[in-house]
Amino acid sequence: MARTRWVDVFAQLQWAPLVAVAFGMVLAADLKSEPVKSLRPVQGDYLLNCGGCHGFNGVSNAKLVPSLKDLVGYYLRTPEGRAYLPRLPNVAFSTLSDQKLAAVLNYVVFEIGGNSAPVGAKPYDAAEVGRWRKQPLNEVVLSQYRLQLVENLISQHQAPAELRVYGEDPLGN
Amino acid sequence: MRKSSFDELSERLTRRLAGYSSRRGFIARLGMALAAAPLFPLLPVARASAAEPPKTDFERNAQVKDETKCSYWKYCGSDGVLCSCCGGGSHTCPPGAEPSPISWIGTCVNPEDKRSYVIAYRDCCGKPVCTAGKSCWCDGTDRDLPTYRSSLNNDIIWCFGNASATYHCSTAALVGLAG
Repeated sequence: MARTRWVDVFAQLQWAPLVAVAFGMVLAADLKSEPVKSLRPVQGDYLLNCGGCHGFNGVSNAKLVPSLKDLVGYYLRTPEGRAYLPRLPNVAFSTLSDQKLAAVLNYVVFEIGGNSAPVGAKPYDAAEVGRWRKQPLNEVVLSQYRLQLVENLISQHQAPAELRVYGEDPLGN
Repeated sequence: MRKSSFDELSERLTRRLAGYSSRRGFIARLGMALAAAPLFPLLPVARASAAEPPKTDFERNAQVKDETKCSYWKYCGSDGVLCSCCGGGSHTCPPGAEPSPISWIGTCVNPEDKRSYVIAYRDCCGKPVCTAGKSCWCDGTDRDLPTYRSSLNNDIIWCFGNASATYHCSTAALVGLAG
């Protein structure tokens, strides 16, 4: 009887080798590759379309490419500033759809921008982005247009002076 | 002595099991399971082989072993001389050269797991161009766009954000798994 019982226990374990093999393969696959950050689709879109110059986390050479981290949300404090972001030439001319572009703008403003956006600011939607990107800022002197917005944000809307950094001599000579 | 109910329960269970299973049955089922297992694409390895077929010549020839060859998988959009041939690594600059803060970013497929990874193509700057052999000069053009889409162009020397815009060599840094 004792013998039968052991066989029964063994029979219960019949799937164990398979489970062990499967688990081993999963483990091996995990150990072989280095830990790599898994990106959300919107992060991928940001990186592929903006992150090369603006930096993975929104910080680059701030004199050459505006820093986004903890700053970009200040633009949402005025209607012109809110329109400015989707009207920027490389935003407006992006190959992304209105929907995806709106998602990237929201990621940039509300995640990379940290607490810089005003409390309760409405996220961009595809319709709004679609409207603004048809009026790109390609017929103005962009650096002057930006500076006007920035000076207003600094003097009237508590934006930090750091917003001004872009446009200074990039190499600090 | 009175049997405990736990003993009775386990006896009933084992007897029932004994009635429905046999040693040969186990071997037969194990054999079947081993034969049938490959049919279930549950494991990551199986899922990987079911992924999309390679789209570009580069992807067909990509390898994961040698970082000093143009066919190394991360170099699918790399244009220039490999830093790994110049005393640096696939994503590190050789001593004395500094990485550009700006880069262009694309994706490459890793031939092992067939998944797309986001890659930053960063130039190393501030030293004269590295003099490595011909085999270290690469021109991967996967997802490279013409110069009028400059943020996705591999011909641009990305050293213009550095103190010295002199190009030394090219790296390809893994940023993450594309979502």
